[in-house]
Amino acid sequence: MRKFLGLGAVVLLCTALAAGAAQAGSSRKAAVNLTFATYVWQPTTVAATKSIVASWNASHPSIQVQIVSVDPNSIHDKLLTNFVGGTATDIIHDEAADIAGFTQQGYLADLTKLIPKTLKGSISNRIWETVTFNKKITGVPSLLQTYNIFANMALLKQAGIKAPTLKNPWTWTQFRAMAKKLTSGGNYGVCWGLKSPTAAVQTLALNYGGRFFYQQGSSTVFKFGAAEQKVPQLMHDMIWVDQSVDPAAVGLSGSGVLPAFFAGKCAMTVQGNYQAQGMILQSPPGFNWAMLPPLKGTTQEQVANPQTYSMAQQSQHKPEAMQFIAYLLNHQNMAKLAAGDWLIPADAQAGKIVASHTKHYGSWIVATSSVGIFRQALWVSLPAYPRWKSEVATPAFVQYLQNKISLSDLGNQLSSGWTRVSSSP
Amino acid sequence: MIVSSRPRVARTGQYALLACYLIFLAFPLLWLLSVSFKGPRELVALHPSIIPSDATLENYREAFTQNGILHSALNSLKVATLTALLTTLVGLPAAYVLARRKGLVSRIGLGWILLSQMFPLILIIIPLFLLLRRLHLTDSHTGLVLVYMVWALPFILWMLQSYVRSIPRDIEEAATADGATRLQILVGIIAPLLAPGIVVTLLFAFVTAWNEFFFALVLLQTPSLTTLPLKLAQFVGIEGVVRLGPLAASALVATIPSLLLFTVIQRWLTRGLMSGAVKG
Repeated sequence: MRKFLGLGAVVLLCTALAAGAAQAGSSRKAAVNLTFATYVWQPTTVAATKSIVASWNASHPSIQVQIVSVDPNSIHDKLLTNFVGGTATDIIHDEAADIAGFTQQGYLADLTKLIPKTLKGSISNRIWETVTFNKKITGVPSLLQTYNIFANMALLKQAGIKAPTLKNPWTWTQFRAMAKKLTSGGNYGVCWGLKSPTAAVQTLALNYGGRFFYQQGSSTVFKFGAAEQKVPQLMHDMIWVDQSVDPAAVGLSGSGVLPAFFAGKCAMTVQGNYQAQGMILQSPPGFNWAMLPPLKGTTQEQVANPQTYSMAQQSQHKPEAMQFIAYLLNHQNMAKLAAGDWLIPADAQAGKIVASHTKHYGSWIVATSSVGIFRQALWVSLPAYPRWKSEVATPAFVQYLQNKISLSDLGNQLSSGWTRVSSSP
Repeated sequence: MIVSSRPRVARTGQYALLACYLIFLAFPLLWLLSVSFKGPRELVALHPSIIPSDATLENYREAFTQNGILHSALNSLKVATLTALLTTLVGLPAAYVLARRKGLVSRIGLGWILLSQMFPLILIIIPLFLLLRRLHLTDSHTGLVLVYMVWALPFILWMLQSYVRSIPRDIEEAATADGATRLQILVGIIAPLLAPGIVVTLLFAFVTAWNEFFFALVLLQTPSLTTLPLKLAQFVGIEGVVRLGPLAASALVATIPSLLLFTVIQRWLTRGLMSGAVKG
């Protein structure tokens, strides 16, 4: 009897083991493998992304995510060929301006019904508008950037200038006056790298309501009226009339002017807010810098072109991919990504987390409080815009800011260039 | 006896000019070397110096540990070596036929080679991608090597056939009279005489594949297959912001194989080029 029982126990154990193995095998077989193309490139953000993916993979054995790194400047080409070839990754990290075209071409999935309510509710409707095309949401917005003034606080103090506050930001008029005051003895008030000025000009133009592109019925109309002219004219006059902006720096990139800023050759520089990362890593020891609140025209509004997380229409695992996106962009994780890139989280709660975990509290408060100033602009989603920007707008703005053409010439070039670009295939 | 100092002055002047020219040529490499040892703060100094004031290996550490440059370099080495060998292997007999066979096919072949060089890359990338996908060759080094071969072959054929033409036919006719087969002629006589051409071909194919970016970007997906140019591009971020230190360190690593190859082959290449110059 004992022998019989022993044999029975062995059979039972073997059956249990076999069943367990079979179950493990089937669950392994059933595991969904998602690919995730991302262009994160700052070491801090790369590390944050890898750690988020690793923690997801550890806690979700049935949905495994693999990162595919792409450099930021090639993401469009990579995605286009992969879409056409049918080999696109399931999850795609891109930006609102780029996904507009892909949405129109039908390559991106409509996420409207897939987005969980908590994620939807954590981001303001104004930002959701930037990723909504024909009533379809094809990307989840994550991080955004503003253009801000970075100031050498020692030079401001020396000149007796009080820094603006969140409640009392500088107007363009005040900024212009301060720049003049800070210009003396071969040093300039402002170093502004305007090698590719289009994005900065168009984003800041919204301070005076300049939108450049307007919807009229079913067509898009380009306008270069008083609202659009205000900011480029102010910039031009600061360089050539007031001479408070270093003309030599105008031909450089944003990061190209940092050596002069760090050396005290100019008291202020206008940069994308992400440049705070460069300030932290590269400024000389003891250099006292601060990021000032966004400038005010009639408003402080700036154009939103958020980084986005989308899903390929070809993906066979859309619900699983959305689960991962929701995890990637929960408050804590979005805060980690924002901290790595020094960009503004679209989720205000994530912004609070970043600000409360940093040494650079003041500048992060300035950055995260800007989340309310973002507005949608039509040009972000125009398929012909990238071509107009590179072929027409950038050369025209550069010529104007280098004082080679007049404001009316600028307007004519921008307008005729848009007619040409938008009418050609 | 009075010796004129003119030739000595002229020679000194020549050497001085040569030294200036060499410095001019080497300066970008020297600058790259200097930048690769500079810390982030020194990289934005208003008055940069060629010798780092506070040299650091941090850029190399970052390139090797965080960015996996070594693994990508090995991938590139594998792909470039295979491309160089296979392209030369295919190109040599083809070039021989194009050079020696007179007729319509040869003329059309050469014309087609020239024409194929005129297609812009962007025009062929999507059809090529679709073709490779059908053959299950996307996201693999095999597919990439095949594409590089096809891409490099026209120029290599054109180059090699001109080398073949420079070899007198009499040598082959003498060998034929001695009973050598066409294959024996190609392997035993033509190939050794073509040594400089083959070396140039190998170098060209290797460097083309080593530096190529766009095909690799489009075709490769799996991170472990990434080649070096793709890794280097990842140091350049949005709006032209660059991680200059690690980029310089990685770029320097990327130039080493080509430099070594040229150094090793250079003497042999020159000897090969000169070997047919003098009769006797």
